[in-house]
Amino acid sequence: MKKTHVPVDSSQAYRELRQNPYRPWPARITSITKLTDTETLFELRIIDHKVREQFNFNAGQFMELSIFGVGEAPISISSAPSKKGFIELCVRNAGSVTGALHKMRCGDIVGLRGPFGRGFPFEDMKGHDVLMVAGGLGIAPLKSLINHIHDERHEFGKVTILLGARNPSEILFRQQFDMWRHRDDFNLIMTVDTPDETWDGEVGLVTKLFDQIEVDPAKTVGVICGPPVMYRYAIDEMRKKKLPVDRIYLSFERRMKCGIGICNHCGIGHKYACIDGPVFNYWEAMNLQEAM
Amino acid sequence: MYFRILAKDHVSTFVEGLAHVYEVFAPVKNESGFSFEQVSDGSSIVLDYPMTIIPPKKYFVRSKESLFRYDTHSGDVVESELEVTPRVLFGVHACDINALLMTDKVFLGDYEDPYYKARREHTLIVGVSCMPVLTCMCDTWGTGEVQQGCDLFLTDLGDRYFVTCHSVEGAHVLDTFADTHEATAEDTKALEEHLRAFREAFSRPVDATSLQLLFDAKYNDELWEEIGEACLSCGACSAVCPTCYCFDVNDELDADGNAGARVRCWDSCMNSQFAEVAGGHDFRPTRASRVRYRFYHKFWSYPARYGKTLCVGCGRCDVACKVNINPRRIIGALQEGARS
Ligand SMILES: Cc1cc2nc3c(=O)[nH]c(=O)nc-3n(C[C@H](O)[C@H](O)[C@H](O)COP(=O)(O)OP(=O)(O)OC[C@H]3O[C@@H](n4cnc5c(N)ncnc54)[C@H](O)[C@@H]3O)c2cc1C
Ligand code: SF4
Ligand code: SF4
Ligand code: FES
Repeated sequence: MKKTHVPVDSSQAYRELRQNPYRPWPARITSITKLTDTETLFELRIIDHKVREQFNFNAGQFMELSIFGVGEAPISISSAPSKKGFIELCVRNAGSVTGALHKMRCGDIVGLRGPFGRGFPFEDMKGHDVLMVAGGLGIAPLKSLINHIHDERHEFGKVTILLGARNPSEILFRQQFDMWRHRDDFNLIMTVDTPDETWDGEVGLVTKLFDQIEVDPAKTVGVICGPPVMYRYAIDEMRKKKLPVDRIYLSFERRMKCGIGICNHCGIGHKYACIDGPVFNYWEAMNLQEAM
Repeated sequence: MYFRILAKDHVSTFVEGLAHVYEVFAPVKNESGFSFEQVSDGSSIVLDYPMTIIPPKKYFVRSKESLFRYDTHSGDVVESELEVTPRVLFGVHACDINALLMTDKVFLGDYEDPYYKARREHTLIVGVSCMPVLTCMCDTWGTGEVQQGCDLFLTDLGDRYFVTCHSVEGAHVLDTFADTHEATAEDTKALEEHLRAFREAFSRPVDATSLQLLFDAKYNDELWEEIGEACLSCGACSAVCPTCYCFDVNDELDADGNAGARVRCWDSCMNSQFAEVAGGHDFRPTRASRVRYRFYHKFWSYPARYGKTLCVGCGRCDVACKVNINPRRIIGALQEGARS
């Protein structure tokens, strides 16, 4: 792949504006969509219009979300960069910050800073087939990528999305994806570990779906995002399909306290998930201790 | 370089002159050892001290500090008043100066930490030479000398100091507040002797050849299990280390709930939960994995990123650790294993 990818790097902006990178901008919750029992999609709007207008990001980057008085948590941006003025976050109620967010209503104020990290190499992916594998909440950052590809669909070859969840009620964005199952420009296959009476899709682990797809290793980019246990298996399958190590992209989750490469909480070998990742290619990950 | 000679008798007057314009912090003796404290009176300071318990990093990254305050309802953020009173750290050892150059790389990297930066820019550093004690290993890392990172450096020549001026601010305060004279050939000779004595005072050399490769290759060595078993996870090693800089960030709410502060405090990668994420997954669940992380950060990861070992050999962890876990022993054990 040619190396032309220039990620949105907010460090430059923070430096030029002499803006304190720890300082969140107030943002208003403009819409709340409950997705499952534990996950909700929040649409946010940064209040300061100048900041809002300059705001730009790559799919795969994340924001630091503040609930004032509770704390901060890193959350991937779920909306596509083309959706201007609003930022969507798909959040699982997992602890103090995300729990407090789930108690908020439309119109309430939260804090945002970012975008941080290195996202997916969107420009470099153009001209390729794309094979995405998502497990559980892993769809949150991939949703941004999927929507971005959708915006510029003609730039890409075949696009395949393999989506896994524990059971049908835990599938995120199910309505949209149910409709997408019948599109011919996206090959979307969903599977669940435990089906219920509503389920007419596949059953079993997401890696089982590899039997059903054709991959041209010469022109395919692989993308994997899911719970820590999933990576090993999904990578094995992609390697069996002969994808080269540097064309498989992974997005990692780590504990983060600053998002800007200083606090050292998110260290993976000599890299930081917050500024060098969260997206790494498999070759990079292979060379990082504790990556998987 | 601008060299001057400062008689030891004149150090007090120099410090007191500085204290009129700056807050001056210098090593003083207390019950438990030596520590940097604010001084106004030049006679209380001790310049030939072995090491302070806590390194000067506390003046740049506070053990606990508020980053900013906010209104919980409007989300309006009030910048914290940055305490940027001009300061002088007087009497800092070469290893601790070199440690600041290492934390600079992190705090003044792609993203600049404005708190660290403001304090760094408003602090003059006056270094002072020292003689090694048993735990010192700056000879291994070349951190026993200073090429940059301070404004003045005082080398002890017995009854006087050989002063090197590293910055124009340093030269300026020296000219303004100190009674100095030009260095003579005799002073240069005495300097030469001091440097020889310093070199010869190291009795426990550590050979750090190919250290990174050794660490890399022995990532899964059983040594880490043994060390992990001994470690108490007390975090003392990180608290006293001038090159450990991890921090944690938390929100503290006022009693009325209307406002609060975002507060950061020193953390340690030796604490359990340091690398735990939602769902209970912990990337370093065992003590062994955490001890190993600390040493890899110092001798493998930081060098891979910044080209230098993240240890200045000050020996503080050697003194602080109750179970004798320190770089000298770890490096030795890795090399011993390599030989057998
Ligand atoms: C790059 C990146 C992108 C992410 N994207 C998303 C996303 O799009 N959506 C999403 O929902 N999440 C996302 N996350 C995960 C999210 O940041 C974490 O779940 C985060 O911990 C939530 O913060 P919290 O304050 O709600 O939870 P916390 O209160 O921090 O608790 C979460 C979990 O962490 C552990 N924990 C934390 N602190 C302690 C403690 N003091 N004692 C014991 N256990 C503790 C527990 O296991 C607990 O269940 C992302 C993470 C990263 C790094
Ligand atoms: S690791 Fe030990 S010897 Fe090295 S700088 Fe830290 S405290 Fe000093
Ligand atoms: S290495 Fe020693 S000082 Fe550090 S946490 Fe373990 S027991 Fe404590
Ligand atoms: S989150 Fe602080 S270094 Fe990555």
